[in-house]
Formats: sequence, structure tokens, C-alpha cells
Amino acid sequence: MTKSEKFQLVENYIIENQNAHYRLAFSYVKNKESALDIIQDSIMKALKSIDSLEQTGYLKTWFYRILINTSIDFIHKNKRIVVVEDEVLDFHLPSSEMEVPDIDLYEAIDNLAPEQKTLIILRFFEDIKIEDIAKMLGVNQNTIKTRLYATLRKLRTNMEEKVKV
Amino acid sequence: MSKLNDSKKQYNDIEIPTELKQVVSKSVQTVKREQLKKKPSFKKFGLGVAAAAAIFVAGVNVNPTLAQSLSTVPILGSIIQVVSIQEITIEEDTYNADLKTPNVTGLTNKELENSLNEKYIAENKELYEGFQKEMEALKEVGGGHLGVASTYEVVTDTDEILSISRYAVNIVGSSSTTMRTDTIDKKNEVLITLPSLFKDDKGYIETISTYIKGEMKKEMAADEMNMYWIAGEEEVFDGFDTIRPDQTFSITSDHKLTISFDKYEVAPGSMGVITFEIPTDVIKEELISDYYIK
Repeated sequence: MTKSEKFQLVENYIIENQNAHYRLAFSYVKNKESALDIIQDSIMKALKSIDSLEQTGYLKTWFYRILINTSIDFIHKNKRIVVVEDEVLDFHLPSSEMEVPDIDLYEAIDNLAPEQKTLIILRFFEDIKIEDIAKMLGVNQNTIKTRLYATLRKLRTNMEEKVKV
Repeated sequence: MSKLNDSKKQYNDIEIPTELKQVVSKSVQTVKREQLKKKPSFKKFGLGVAAAAAIFVAGVNVNPTLAQSLSTVPILGSIIQVVSIQEITIEEDTYNADLKTPNVTGLTNKELENSLNEKYIAENKELYEGFQKEMEALKEVGGGHLGVASTYEVVTDTDEILSISRYAVNIVGSSSTTMRTDTIDKKNEVLITLPSLFKDDKGYIETISTYIKGEMKKEMAADEMNMYWIAGEEEVFDGFDTIRPDQTFSITSDHKLTISFDKYEVAPGSMGVITFEIPTDVIKEELISDYYIK
């Protein structure tokens, strides 16, 4: 495969899967502008370093790795600025209406550390195999399993705390 | 964990903004363009730059939606001046362009004056044509937000030196900024290039690059909001290794060398355009003389 064929392959992949990539980026930063910034950065990093993609079979793994690193980098750098839209704020503030007594798991996932959130999103929302997640994050499979179970346990405790409140 | 499926649904319901498509294709195009530029090109320009510029000016003037203005930026105590010869503004719902072209006057070295001015017109012409093309393409797919702006700034104007920086900003969802600077020796009327300041071709590149990398690391250690991509660091693809001989540089009014990087060149977009002032002590050994840099 020539370099330009490889570039074309990566380009097609990026265009076809843009929505999934955007959702992942958005789930970290929770605002449109930052998510778009991450998408832009990730695509540019990826296309500029297609040489680092050795086997095209690992295309998805390779791109997710860039995307996740870019997202987590972004959060660590922008900790001070957290844009909260009105509707989100309303959602988090104690509401006067009694409409949702149900504890929202999605919200609990949101409150996880970025590294833990990554595991949940990749495994359960994106249905990616543990084996592939391990490759994306450059960590071995058993470590991923251990961390995933720890995260699930944490989610459970988080939700129980909420119930007590 | 029966609720995981509900959460998954919420995740899949994350709204996809209309701008996403453009951000994606724009990013792909930017990299493609950069890679084309890297390859040696043997393309010949059929039209002379001056002729092309004339067509550009005519096009601008004929088009009623374009406004043109002529304004002067006065620089006290010097005959060499920088004025705006053209200002193009397009205001069309979600499409905005605001291009300002500088023009240098008063040099007796007309060859230098013309080559600078032709270059400035060509730069904005390229921006304008690119903008129009993208605007048409966007209109075809149902519209979107697009913006381009260029402006300039006289960063240094002393008896010896005139330094003009041009900024170009592309806005699609997020923005990218490039900055180019020309520094002119007003007395001798020559354009100063970065290699021309140094004794040999290679030594200074290494000295300056090493200094900048050191500064980047220092800044990152001092504040975690600072982030640079440095080659060889963990998880960095294609990071900063060395400056190029045509790296954007300038000379300040107190005779210090500055080196600049475009937005995204060596750091995430949030860092913007980055400029490092190089202490003269660091490069003293490499400098040809202390005429420009002291």
C-alpha cells in the first residue's frame, strides 16, 4: 500500500466515523466548541503521523488512541475553565419539581475521572472488546479488566451515596 | 447494571452539530495542503504576479458586495511607510471575510518594495479565493459558518529596522492562525532573513531549537495549563524538533531576536500563536555581528 493509499484509507475512515468520534470527544468536554477543537486536533495529529500506523487493521485502535489522548490532554489543560450551559446547570441544581426520583447512571458516569470514563464509554457504549481497549490505551488486558471492575464498583457506590442524600 | 442500556442510548443521542462536517473536512484539507507544500513543486505561474494582482484588484472593485478603503498608518519620523491598500469585507449571513493588505512605500530600492507588496497582495488573493471556493462548496451542501480574516501589524519601527507581521485567521467552528513577518533593514534597504544573521547555516538552528525546547519544558513544568508538543516526548506525534531556516522571526526595537510559531504548529490550539524571545547571550557566538541583534 502506498502512502497516498494509506492516507486515503485514513481519510475515509475519519469522514465515515466522524459522529462516533464527536460523541466520544463531547462526552469528555461537554461542550460543542471544545469537542470540535479536539476533533480538529486529533485529525491533524493523525494525518500528520500516518507513518505511526503500521498495520491498517489497527486503524480504529490507532485513531481512538489519538482521540482519547487529545481529549484527556484537553481536560487536564482546561480544568480551570468548565463551560456549563444553562440547561446543564439546571439539570445539576436541585430542582423544585419532583419529576426524576430516578438516579441517573449517565450522570454518574459523567462524574467519573476521564480515565475511568474512557473505559466505560469504550466498553459499554462503543462495544469495543477489552483486548482492543488494551491496545488503544497501551495497557495490558488484565489491567484494563481490573480497572473496569473498580470503575463499575465506584459507579455503584456513587449512586448509593446519591440515594442517601 | 441494567441501566447501562439507557445510558448508552443517552450517549448515542448526543447531538451532532452541523459544523462537524466542515471541521472534519477542513482539518483533512489543511493537512493535505501542508503536505503538498512540502513536496517540491515545479508548477509555473502562467501569469506574472503583478498581472494576477491586477486581476484581483479589478475583481474586487467590480464586485459590488466588496468594500474597498484606503487608509494610512502614519509612522512618525520615517519616510518609509506601511499603508493599507485594500480592505475587503464580505458580510453575508454566516460568511465573513475581512482582509487587509499592507503596502510598503518610500523605499528607494523599488525591487524590494515591489516584491514585498506583490507578495502581500498574493497572500490575500489566495485567502480570498480559498474563501470563495469554500463558501460555494458550503452553499452547495446547505450552508454553514465560514470566516477568514487577515490583518497586519508593524511590530518594530526604529531608525534601522521595520518589521511587519501579517496574520491570517481561518474560522470554521474553531480557528487557525498563521503569522508571517518581514523584517527590513531601512538604512541598507534589504530584507533580513534568519540565516543571514548567523555565521554558518546549521549552528544557530540547533542553538535556538535547544533553547526553545528548554523554555517549553520550563513553562510546562511551571503551569500545567501550558502545553507544547516536543518531539521525542511520550505520546507526541510529530512534535517540535528544530526551527526551520524560514521560521517566522522578528527583531524587537531593543535589538532582540524573537521566533514565532503558528497556532497548532508546536502546541494545542488553546496556546495560540507562540513567540519566544531569544536572549542575545544564547546566540552571541553564532551571530555574524551585533549590528541588528545586541
